[in-house]
Amino acid sequence: MTDSAGSGFLDDLRAGYTRMFSGNWVVPVFVAVWVVIVILPLLVMVAHSFFEMKNYQVSYDASFKTWNSLIDSGRWIAAVRTLRVVLMMTVVEFLIAFPFALWLAKTCKSKVTKAVIITLLTIPFFLDPSSRTIIWRAILGKNGIINTVLMELGIISEPMEWMLFSEFAVHFGMLAPYFPTMVFPIFLVVSLIDDHYLEASRDLGASKLHTLFYIILPLSLPGIVAGAVFTMVPLMATWVEPEMLGGGFVNLLGPSVEAAIRNLKYPTAAALSVFVIIVLALLLTLLILATRRLGSIGDVFQTLRR
Amino acid sequence: MSERTQHRMAATIDDQIGHGGALFWRRLSAWRFWTAIAKWLGLIVILLMYIPLVWLAVMSFSGRPLSGIPYPLTMEHYDELMGAFNKWGEPLYESVAMGVVVGIVCMIVATAVGRAMPRMRKPGGVILIALIPLFVPGLTMGAALFISVRSFLDLRLGLWSIFLGHMVWSLPFSLLLVLIIATRFDHRLLEAAQDLGATGWRRFWDIEFPILRPGIVGAGIFGFLLSFNELLRSIFLRGSETTMPIYNWTMTASHQSQVPIIFSLSTIILAVTLPILGGFFWLLFAKLDRG
Repeated sequence: MTDSAGSGFLDDLRAGYTRMFSGNWVVPVFVAVWVVIVILPLLVMVAHSFFEMKNYQVSYDASFKTWNSLIDSGRWIAAVRTLRVVLMMTVVEFLIAFPFALWLAKTCKSKVTKAVIITLLTIPFFLDPSSRTIIWRAILGKNGIINTVLMELGIISEPMEWMLFSEFAVHFGMLAPYFPTMVFPIFLVVSLIDDHYLEASRDLGASKLHTLFYIILPLSLPGIVAGAVFTMVPLMATWVEPEMLGGGFVNLLGPSVEAAIRNLKYPTAAALSVFVIIVLALLLTLLILATRRLGSIGDVFQTLRR
Repeated sequence: MSERTQHRMAATIDDQIGHGGALFWRRLSAWRFWTAIAKWLGLIVILLMYIPLVWLAVMSFSGRPLSGIPYPLTMEHYDELMGAFNKWGEPLYESVAMGVVVGIVCMIVATAVGRAMPRMRKPGGVILIALIPLFVPGLTMGAALFISVRSFLDLRLGLWSIFLGHMVWSLPFSLLLVLIIATRFDHRLLEAAQDLGATGWRRFWDIEFPILRPGIVGAGIFGFLLSFNELLRSIFLRGSETTMPIYNWTMTASHQSQVPIIFSLSTIILAVTLPILGGFFWLLFAKLDRG
């Protein structure tokens, strides 16, 4: 063959590589490993939620005791609060992200602006969560910049203490970190909508709002569903923001799971985590059912592909 | 289209909402500030992401870092940071090493699996299985892995379990990056190369690899970055190990006095990583836009 530069060892390496990569075993092996490190742990966790701790040991007698104790200990309040925060944040993110994604995909003509904004939206995925959250304490806190400036200006006489260690602070701190996950899917789908549809709608005499509700909204449903899912999933077990900005006043499921593991209550942590996954599955189902009324997602892909 | 038809069409749409309502909607949509509102609300949220980073850098030079005013400016936190190198040097090294290993493994596995998937007859199920970790919150996945490894299998936690958690998190993203490019790969190119007598290795290295390269490089970089800043899974799977995000978390969450040092440390890390990140994504998106 033409390849004569390689030494014996390199040739062996290449031959081995060729065998390794030409085989059809890659995908099955990957799936097997993935099942072991992703799906099995989740199943083990589900099983653990039916056990309980006795003398710092998990006793493997199946029962509903852990689940019952969750209800008795009032953790359902944390669950309800988490659900409220998640829904609230998802709706707020959607209300800001949907118009913004529309603007970015259709109105913003400058390619440079587009690339800059997409870059700015991507970078937050790769920032350290603690340091970018803790700084809000120096901004929203009692002696933080906002209170200091407002007091210097004489607008307020007492520092506003509701801004930190409160539900407001937790919501506010989560606003920016969970924004990109909502924008990206909607942006991608809206970019795919053919401009001719929008022109046709206008030519037929529809107002901009008609076009929005009858053309753009139904066609961007897959993006909206994806955005909502990818925003809800991390929100459902959010931990850094409530711990750092809630100051112990905002008890959500994420911190509860962490506290349960720290206190060696593994079945409790398992049950709480399983609960998180069940709620997410329910929310996803509801979301798909709700959007089905507006239009089938399959039809949308058909239209977009054309 | 004649004006009459146009009016009739408009009337048909108006009929669906009722005439009075339609007039209202028509006026509402004529309001010219909608675009500006859509644009600026989004930009404000993006600013909310970057203002804290700027403020973090400012306050790292402040004598009273948790107060509202940056003055008096001082370098003392940086001096203190340098003095405490023995505390954060190890976590930094551990995170970089872990990121490099996760990045390389992600790159190899994502390439191997990503180029094999489009050749399958029905890849949907496999893709779904591979993407499961994206639908499970990080803390929950961490708890599941912790309970399985620590409580169920009774194994010692350590770097290997952190690696496992990071792989579960990074690989789906890396795989997606390779898949995006691999699905568009024209396999006739490989057949042509084979007809011309190229060996399996040459077919991969000279034809397939250059075409898949953006996805492969992206897979490695995503693997590194996602691992470097991973906290939610590592916190459970750490055993007695400490990575950079874990160090930052423990210092900020439980030791108020250590916060200034974290400010300066984060500022240095941001000063190094932000330009690299910005440059990388700029190139990536500028390139994607052209292609």
